[in-house]
Amino acid sequence: MSVQANSPSRAGRHAAGATPPTPRRASPARRAAALLRRQPIATLLPFAVVIGVWAVVSALGIFPSSFFVGPATVFDSMVDSVRRGILPAYIQDSLTRLAVGAAFGLGIGVALGFLIGLNRYVRKFCWPVLLFFQAIGDIAWLPIVIIWFGFSLTSVTVVIVYTVTFPLIISIVAGLDAIPTNLLRAAASLGASRWRTLWEVYVPGALPGVSSGVRTGLGYGWRALIAAEIIIGTSGVGFMMFDARRQGDVSHVFVGMAVLGVLWYMTDALVLAPLEKETVERWGLVERIGR
Amino acid sequence: MTMLSVDQLNQVYVDTYTGEATVAIEDVSFDVPEGQFVSVIGPSGCGKTTVLNIVAGFVDATGGTVRLQGSPVSGPGPDRGVVFQDFALFPWKTVEANIAFGLKTQGVGKVERRAKAQEMIDLVGLTGFEKKYPHELSGGMRQRAGVARVLATEPAIMLMDEPFASVDAQTRRVLQQEVLRIWEQRRTTVLFVTHDVDEAVFMSDRVVVLSPRPSTVRADLSIQIPRPRSWTDMHTNTEFVRIRRELMTMLGVETGVETGSRSAP
Ligand SMILES: Nc1ncnc2c1ncn2[C@@H]1O[C@H](COP(=O)(O)OP(=O)(O)OP(=O)(O)O)[C@@H](O)[C@H]1O
Ligand SMILES: [Mg+2]
Repeated sequence: MSVQANSPSRAGRHAAGATPPTPRRASPARRAAALLRRQPIATLLPFAVVIGVWAVVSALGIFPSSFFVGPATVFDSMVDSVRRGILPAYIQDSLTRLAVGAAFGLGIGVALGFLIGLNRYVRKFCWPVLLFFQAIGDIAWLPIVIIWFGFSLTSVTVVIVYTVTFPLIISIVAGLDAIPTNLLRAAASLGASRWRTLWEVYVPGALPGVSSGVRTGLGYGWRALIAAEIIIGTSGVGFMMFDARRQGDVSHVFVGMAVLGVLWYMTDALVLAPLEKETVERWGLVERIGR
Repeated sequence: MTMLSVDQLNQVYVDTYTGEATVAIEDVSFDVPEGQFVSVIGPSGCGKTTVLNIVAGFVDATGGTVRLQGSPVSGPGPDRGVVFQDFALFPWKTVEANIAFGLKTQGVGKVERRAKAQEMIDLVGLTGFEKKYPHELSGGMRQRAGVARVLATEPAIMLMDEPFASVDAQTRRVLQQEVLRIWEQRRTTVLFVTHDVDEAVFMSDRVVVLSPRPSTVRADLSIQIPRPRSWTDMHTNTEFVRIRRELMTMLGVETGVETGSRSAP
């Protein structure tokens, strides 16, 4: 966060260094740079204000420094951590875990969402089960998952897949149900086959549901990841924060929090928002989301 | 030749919560000859939409048959093109893609599809809006696209359920004339549902009047106003004025002037 506020050019380099897990690493970085070039004030000003308030609060010295540190201290810790290679490695670990879990979760969620949403019998059978498991929150699975898979990547993945899948399914089913009957009637009376109706009506029609499900799912998955890393972790951003707390190192806890915020913001600005802009917003199905 | 034949149609709706049965349509029969423009009118809730939905194949009738060119219909199909009150354009398709959709389902090749869609776009006056999405168009333009989408596939009959009810009064008049102009060129068979007496008389060759629910056919009037018709000379047209008054009385829409001279039902 502070990196971006202090120097946009560094932010570009930082972003490139911070996202090595994606094979096309140049693309999000270039997009981040493009975003900063297009609307630097709109993008950076809110963060600058937050950091300003933060700096003032810490400078007033209301809280002891073992509780609360200012942006400068956090920035130093972050630079130090990056220089020693710890932060990039941890971010890479966290993002890899999230990517693996999210990929499975999205795959399973989309498939099940459409299956349950479109087939009456599958829906009747699955819905109660779905509600039952929805009630068992992500972290509530950790004890049993650890017993089954130990303190491993598998455990983390299982928990993330779980948290991504459920909101996605429910949101896709709701999205399918929200498709106006007359659109389906129009397709049928224009002679569309089942498959054509699926591809050209159900799939695009459910996209608002898919996109909000992906948002919720990834958001939950991201939180579950941090929780899992705190409990299971041997590395990663969640582990770093927990480890720092144990050593009484508040500034690294803050670094972790800042990193979480920045990464989520980047996921939204560089992946989710552009996709929505090209589809559901372009078609007038949803108003702009938070912009 | 009879294009559409509706025979002793009956429709009972059962309320899924209370189990209560509502007889929407008691017994409705009428024929639509090829090339005729037939309107169905009647009081609100008498089952006009139900009749159209059964003909379209969206709703299964509890009794009676619907025949198209002699064969019974079941389920929706491209032989009956539907123009919807709420347009029902695919929001994720451009105007052009919406209009070409029916051709695509028929396996018409891309080049031919383009050409045909463009022809329809020009016909309904949407030239220049090919690449727009439906939400970028006005209500009137959307319904033009709705009409073009149906015309593109050349259905045996066009079904329209209050197609102009969602646009403003002025646009409605323009669209009515436009649709008549197009219809006069092509003479597609049309079954048109409306609750607007003026619209029914202005557009149609024949008006079928339904009674209040449970509905039966109350009257079947032929309209001998010469075509091409336009709104500018309708109010001085004695035939228009006469049939309009007759229908108004039948539907119980009586103005102060007409209460004294109540004609037979
Ligand atoms: N799906 C349904 N389930 C139960 N009852 C229905 C259903 N559709 C229509 N009805 C009932 O059947 C009757 C006829 O409805 P319909 O929509 O066909 O009338 P309409 O003549 O088109 O009315 P309007 O002029 O208001 O459009 C009404 O009493 C309505 O409440
Ligand atoms: Mg109706």
